[in-house]
Amino acid sequence: MAARDTAWGPMELNRAAAQEAAEALRAAGWELELQLPNLPLIAPEGEAKDLVRRAKEEDAEPVWRGDAFLLLGKAQDLPAVLEHCRDELGYALLYDATAVDPSVDSAELKLIYGLRNLQTKARLIVQARVPKTEAVVPSVALVYPAADWHEREAAEMYGITYTGHPDPRKLLLPDDWAGFPLRKDYEYPEEYNGISCT
Amino acid sequence: MNSHPAARFDDKPGREVELDVATQDCMIHMGPQHPATHGVMRVLLKADGEILAGAQTHLGYLHRCAEKIGESVDWLQYLPYTDRYDYLAAMNNNLGYSLAVESLLGVEVPERAQYLRVIVAELNRIASHLFAVGTYGLDLGAFTPLFTALRDREEVLELFEKICGARLTYSYVRPGGVMNDAPEGWLASVAAFLDGFEKTWHEYWTLIAENKIFIERTANIGVLSAEQALAWGCSGPMLRGSGIDWDLRRDQPYLIYDRLEFDVIQGVGYRGQVGDCFDRTFVRMFEMVESVRILRQCLEQIPDGEVLHEEVGAVIRPAPGESYVAIENPRGELGHYCVSDGTKIAVRVRVRSPSFCNMSVAEHLMPGAMLGDAAAIIGSVDIVVGETDR
Amino acid sequence: MGVLENSLPESILTTRVDWMVNWARSSSLWPMTFGLACCAIEMIAVGGPRFDVDRFGAGAFRATPRQADLMVVAGTVNFKMGERVKRLYDQMPGPKYVMALGACATGGGPYHKYGYTVMKGVDRIVPVDVYVAGCPPRPEAFLDGLMLLQQKIKRQRVIRAQPKDVIVPQGTEAHPA
Repeated sequence: MAARDTAWGPMELNRAAAQEAAEALRAAGWELELQLPNLPLIAPEGEAKDLVRRAKEEDAEPVWRGDAFLLLGKAQDLPAVLEHCRDELGYALLYDATAVDPSVDSAELKLIYGLRNLQTKARLIVQARVPKTEAVVPSVALVYPAADWHEREAAEMYGITYTGHPDPRKLLLPDDWAGFPLRKDYEYPEEYNGISCT
Repeated sequence: MNSHPAARFDDKPGREVELDVATQDCMIHMGPQHPATHGVMRVLLKADGEILAGAQTHLGYLHRCAEKIGESVDWLQYLPYTDRYDYLAAMNNNLGYSLAVESLLGVEVPERAQYLRVIVAELNRIASHLFAVGTYGLDLGAFTPLFTALRDREEVLELFEKICGARLTYSYVRPGGVMNDAPEGWLASVAAFLDGFEKTWHEYWTLIAENKIFIERTANIGVLSAEQALAWGCSGPMLRGSGIDWDLRRDQPYLIYDRLEFDVIQGVGYRGQVGDCFDRTFVRMFEMVESVRILRQCLEQIPDGEVLHEEVGAVIRPAPGESYVAIENPRGELGHYCVSDGTKIAVRVRVRSPSFCNMSVAEHLMPGAMLGDAAAIIGSVDIVVGETDR
Repeated sequence: MGVLENSLPESILTTRVDWMVNWARSSSLWPMTFGLACCAIEMIAVGGPRFDVDRFGAGAFRATPRQADLMVVAGTVNFKMGERVKRLYDQMPGPKYVMALGACATGGGPYHKYGYTVMKGVDRIVPVDVYVAGCPPRPEAFLDGLMLLQQKIKRQRVIRAQPKDVIVPQGTEAHPA
């Protein structure tokens, strides 16, 4: 049984795995950054409530909590990096592939891939960034078939083009749907095929 | 591994027809209104005679914009929506989301709340598996399993009604703990339910494992190999049914699961091969037994104390950051990827739902099966469409 | 007796045609198995042993619209599904009735504000006879809705033609003044 250090799972294990993977991938010649959160996993007493207010008052450097992840320098590397993770580092299972639109002002979308290693029990989050105006990224569906539906969903929700995707149809939305709903600047439709949306 | 449904679906099938007759592929639409799809999902089947040559799944008939809502309402206001994507295991969904929010808040809930969470989650797992096995019987043409399963499921729902007032959508587990402590005598009634359930479990097992028709329709049907299950990101009974020893409760322990003793059930090829439809049902059946074991230990160990963390109020402002937290839902790995910028509204609430990933492999189990097996294969995945479409 | 209004000796029964037909229709409603979302689970629970909808003559769930006369829209209807709902409704033989079960089918429910694909009420595409409140409605609420529908059917005129597919505002038909 893996060691549990927080009520939501073995976070130290996952963080150590991220550090290890970062070194291994750097050694293999890929350009990437290891992003480590600078807040403790468990907040000291009283901080959970006041953290944000105090951070604003002091105008201090940005703080963040949560998972460590690898940020790839180039989104074009994604399939090759993930293939390396699968074949050399033992991350046999891709559990999630998605995207995040950080804010309306942000010029970039974040792509997020989550991998699991069933031997070491660790998981690894790999991120990359693509510009919103030209969101084109190679698909990893041929490396991990699990990414197939996830990428189709991200494509229709964020307007990302996954080049080389074997089946680039819409998944959840109707075929004639306009717009990308999960983008922050999405405007809700007034009507769809003559049926009012409000 | 790299072959793809679209490619396979549109090409002429490679199967040689032995008889010298002209055959034509027949397209059959199964759904969106079809009782065996467990909701509204459409599977387009390509049949050559009675043998399936391919299948294509169409989703989206219950897309309810959960992820957009997640970034439009407060952290706490989103809780009732988590009930509604997997409505058969709403307690587990509440739990998954609450843990994700707590990981950004950096709070660990009081011990009593952790035990209560495990108790309701495991009770919900029993209710969900009962329903899964019951409706699976219905898919295969047997009414008895469903009606007997509903009998015991109602007992669980009654327990939930006592603790939170709702039958289906609970919002009982919330960020910071649980909504309220268990009413007096509730833990005793859980124990009483377990005593009764242990006896009736054997009835269900007899209905399934001794039923010749059930065995014929599930054994050696829809065999999912371990490699396929891994490649397609399966989880839960789907992954374990294929003989992979993986359970988040043990391998990424959350809450107090590391203090509890239980076995991870794997498919063993009980009536056929490892990874067939029967094995997935086998895993579900015996997971209920393990849940009973877990519940008994929880009832023994549960301490007194607070059930809600004092620093978590009505308006939550988690620290900025990104966090992925996964729990073992009855259907598999339910993960929430939450991104916060320190305000009271999330930047992103991504739901990684188990049915979505498990369903993506189902269409690859179809080629070569008989037309009648399509319902058996889809039913054995145990999908909840609210979760595949969110 | 109670079943038919008058009875004469030698096994001759007399009644009004309206009454007779409505009695038959209202006590053997055949619903279509049409579970969409959360409410469908409660609909199945109603069919189960504890609530037993068979007591009201509505337990014969049919898998095809051709054999059904009650469509229970149990759950959220989105635009992709709405098209199918309409098509299924059109396939049902008359007289046919629709029950909007739960907040989503009634008016979008919790998805009203931010649900971009959610249809804000199924009455925008098919005429609804009974609305049942709740998210999801309890089985008792489902049974209450069913009984309201039966009351409504009992007030129908069979011999005289009546307009079809007219949305009757809630409260006017089932609860006459």
